[in-house]
Amino acid sequence: CVSSSKQELFSTSSVLSKDEDKSAASKGSTPEGAAKRQEDGAETTKQQLLDIIGNMKVEVSYRKKLQQLKASENKKQAVNKLEGPDSEGSVPQGIREDTQRLNPELVKAASAVASSLPRNKKQTESELIAQLRRHEETTDKQKKGGTINIRNVISEMTVKRQSPEQWGARISGRISLQLGEDGQRTRSVWLLTNLNKIYFLVSSPTIWDLEFAKEVAAVTAQPPRNGFEEMIQWTKEGILWEFPIDNEVGMEDDAEFHEHIFLDKHLEGFPKEGPIRHFMELVICGLSKNPYLSVKQKVEHIEWFQKYFEEKKELLQEI
Amino acid sequence: MAARRVGAGCWQRALWLGRRCRLPGGRESYRSSSSSPALGKTVDNPQETPEEIVLPRRKTWDKLAVLQTLASTVNRDPTAAHYMFQDDPFLMPRNAANSRLYSLSKESGRNAAKYIIKNFPQYFDKTFAEPNVPCLMPQTLTPQTEGVSEEALRERIHLRMVKESVDMFDQLLQAGTPVSLETTNSLLDLLCFCGDGEPTPEKEQEEKEDLEEPGVDASEQKAPKRQFRRGSQSGPRWRENNHAERIFKIMPERNAHSYCTMIRGMVKHGAHSKAYDMYIDLLNERHKADVHTFNALIRAVPYLKERFTERWELAKDFLTHMAQQKVQPTLLTFNSVLKSLRRCGGVGRTMSLFVLKEMEALDIEPSLASYDHLLSVYYRGVEAQSSDIISEVLNEVEKRSFTAQDPDDANFFNTAMQVCCDLKDIKLAYQLNRALEKGDNWKFLDVDRSNGYWSKFFSLLCMMEQIEVVLKWYKETSSSLFYPSPKNILDLLQALDAANQLEVIPSVWEDVKQLGFSRRQDLLEEFLSLMSRDQHPSEIQLAFAKCAEEIKAIHDPAGPGQVPLEWTGSAVGHVVVLFSRAGRTQDAWNMMEHFQKINRIPTDNVMDEFLNCAKQTNCPDEAIKMVKLAASLGLPLSQRLKSRTEEEFELSETQKKALESIKWDGDSSDSDSDSSDSDRE
Repeated sequence: CVSSSKQELFSTSSVLSKDEDKSAASKGSTPEGAAKRQEDGAETTKQQLLDIIGNMKVEVSYRKKLQQLKASENKKQAVNKLEGPDSEGSVPQGIREDTQRLNPELVKAASAVASSLPRNKKQTESELIAQLRRHEETTDKQKKGGTINIRNVISEMTVKRQSPEQWGARISGRISLQLGEDGQRTRSVWLLTNLNKIYFLVSSPTIWDLEFAKEVAAVTAQPPRNGFEEMIQWTKEGILWEFPIDNEVGMEDDAEFHEHIFLDKHLEGFPKEGPIRHFMELVICGLSKNPYLSVKQKVEHIEWFQKYFEEKKELLQEI
Repeated sequence: MAARRVGAGCWQRALWLGRRCRLPGGRESYRSSSSSPALGKTVDNPQETPEEIVLPRRKTWDKLAVLQTLASTVNRDPTAAHYMFQDDPFLMPRNAANSRLYSLSKESGRNAAKYIIKNFPQYFDKTFAEPNVPCLMPQTLTPQTEGVSEEALRERIHLRMVKESVDMFDQLLQAGTPVSLETTNSLLDLLCFCGDGEPTPEKEQEEKEDLEEPGVDASEQKAPKRQFRRGSQSGPRWRENNHAERIFKIMPERNAHSYCTMIRGMVKHGAHSKAYDMYIDLLNERHKADVHTFNALIRAVPYLKERFTERWELAKDFLTHMAQQKVQPTLLTFNSVLKSLRRCGGVGRTMSLFVLKEMEALDIEPSLASYDHLLSVYYRGVEAQSSDIISEVLNEVEKRSFTAQDPDDANFFNTAMQVCCDLKDIKLAYQLNRALEKGDNWKFLDVDRSNGYWSKFFSLLCMMEQIEVVLKWYKETSSSLFYPSPKNILDLLQALDAANQLEVIPSVWEDVKQLGFSRRQDLLEEFLSLMSRDQHPSEIQLAFAKCAEEIKAIHDPAGPGQVPLEWTGSAVGHVVVLFSRAGRTQDAWNMMEHFQKINRIPTDNVMDEFLNCAKQTNCPDEAIKMVKLAASLGLPLSQRLKSRTEEEFELSETQKKALESIKWDGDSSDSDSDSSDSDRE
């Protein structure tokens, strides 16, 4: 039960952060939001607006909405939980902002790690949390990147419209190729003597080529004769899920699912037990459930912690 | 007990067999599921020691593989209409006109939706689908670039906004900004293609619709859409000094492309002699035309010269120019030549074979359009025909499977079937049909063309084939592949008549009602005359009488607004005969009365039949009425009818009296009183 609830928390944490993002962007007053804006300094206000719209758009989608419902519940819980340990009020504002968007268990583990150090407890904790936050942001960005990609797809509709052009080029290429290859063997008996091989210049297709290709394609265009043919047509148009149904659709980084999920093997450089181990286990647990990062990014994330704890080794051993 | 043991034995054997079967079966599925060559090897040679089994890391499937396999298992249902009509049983088409209307409505509904999405993209900005489906989202068709610049001009050209592009070009010129040759050329492309008229959304839509189902000459119904057919013929004409010409004139420099696109535009929009002049200009400027331009020019040849030999000479000139300018001809070049030869009369006949040989020499495979032109050259409007050319063509076509290469490809099967019909050669028709069924060749027949093709084929079958074969084809193709035309039905009736299979007529009549031809006089006449010509066994006569009753119902004035069909004398006579033979005396008499209404005279045969019927059913009253009617019409037969009535019926006294009282000099007033008499009886 614990693990399942943890999982839920993790999967929704990004949504939580997105919520935060939105409010931050709209208010523009919280330090976290400001920091974020500074990070993306290049962004113009227009793009920010676009981002907001993009976020809103994502919310519209049904699945996300469900998630969000769940998330708002979890958020309440999370906030309640957070009230307890952070009631000392010693945590700086920025960190509290951060911790609100992170999994409390992870934060607890982080503070446990920090408290195992003799000094700079606060600093360590904030450093760890900062890294976690960076990770959250990457996730966020890449998630948003997904939606932006969709936007790109829409704006690239003109490109999509060119696909018949390309197709046309292919067709005309085919027609001309048939001749191009044979041009050498020309031994005409009648009119067109001594034709040399002609090189067909590959230039961008003109409106003539496009329309001709369309016309030729229309010659053999037939309405589907049965349900399956209709589904074929839909698949070609991109309306239908592709068969066979595959849960790895869209995974482009060419990694197997187990590389995404079983990250234990990357923990060999860490101590076998203790608060750091506990912390790292939570980290890989979260990573394994994050669909928005590539395997490489996950490994890098773990390596950062490894380096970090390596640097602090002397401090740790001093104890 | 014994039975049980036997049963058990069987069971065991089955198990054993099953075990034996499973191994190869398992291997089979193994092999088919994996494409790895290593696996294939182990399966093929089980003796060899399997060295290394390389499991593929991931099997990538073609996204269509599953669906294509499934689709290949579905055959055409000869009893059902086309799949596109199966959404709604109420909208199942019953005839060619309906099917055309419904398919067009479906397509135009789609176009309407596209139009809304295109014109109001602001309402479609939500992405509901996940992953997103780009083809359902509105396209950005408004130019993104603001201001007056070459970039903006290019974008407008790309979006095919003719008017905006021209305006932008003029503004750029006025501002003194030079426009690059490339951009001007693409603007010329656009202007020449569109013929200076804005490709309005409506027109574009029509075009799109056309792409789905191009209108064809085969169907006699509904011509209005045809005018949009094939932009090349219809589109706007080339106007004097239109934007294209204007821009062409003020261009500071022109390259071959500028000339070529102008020529193509002029040919496309019917300014043929202008195109020729432009070609001469191009030569004077020492440019070279490209192959498409030559194709266009060759297609324009019939419009440039009057006499056949001159036309051919000009086409030959263009071809020699191509050779001189080292332009490689394409399939389309030769198709253009052949198309022009269609309008060269006898010259075409001698030259077209040379053209085909030339194609062979250049290793260009003829497409269906080439053959189509060839057949037209040889068989259109020619009296003495031999089947040499077409059988050669069919032999060639049968060997290959075709892909569309020329917009004219679609006409081949119809032209060839027409030739088969003209030659009355059923063997050739079968050969052609085999070619059609090969591979994806059927795709060349769109809905309308397929109707024309099958209708011709079916008429030929009716003419040449055994009735059993005809009926088999009829059953398999009618209303799933095509909707028979009235002529097809007439042909079928004639075939039935020739084969003496008139008992099938009632079922054909059912189909005719389905097809909506039940109000066509010629068909009704044919049905009635065939049914009433000979005497048949009683159950067939009963079925015929039922048909006759339905035909009668069609003639009766129905609801308001529906014009009742006019009776003809022969039709009434046939119906009377049919009712009489089925022993329906009362119905027959009711029909008899129609003769008076429409001022027609029944034939002797009809009256004899009626009297026979009255005799069989023992209805002397009707017989007397009949005699009266004949007398009132002053027919010479009436005397004989009277004597027949007296002899053959057992008449009561009053009936005898009535019969006696019939006046024989029948003028109109008498006949009136007579009929009122008969009414009283």
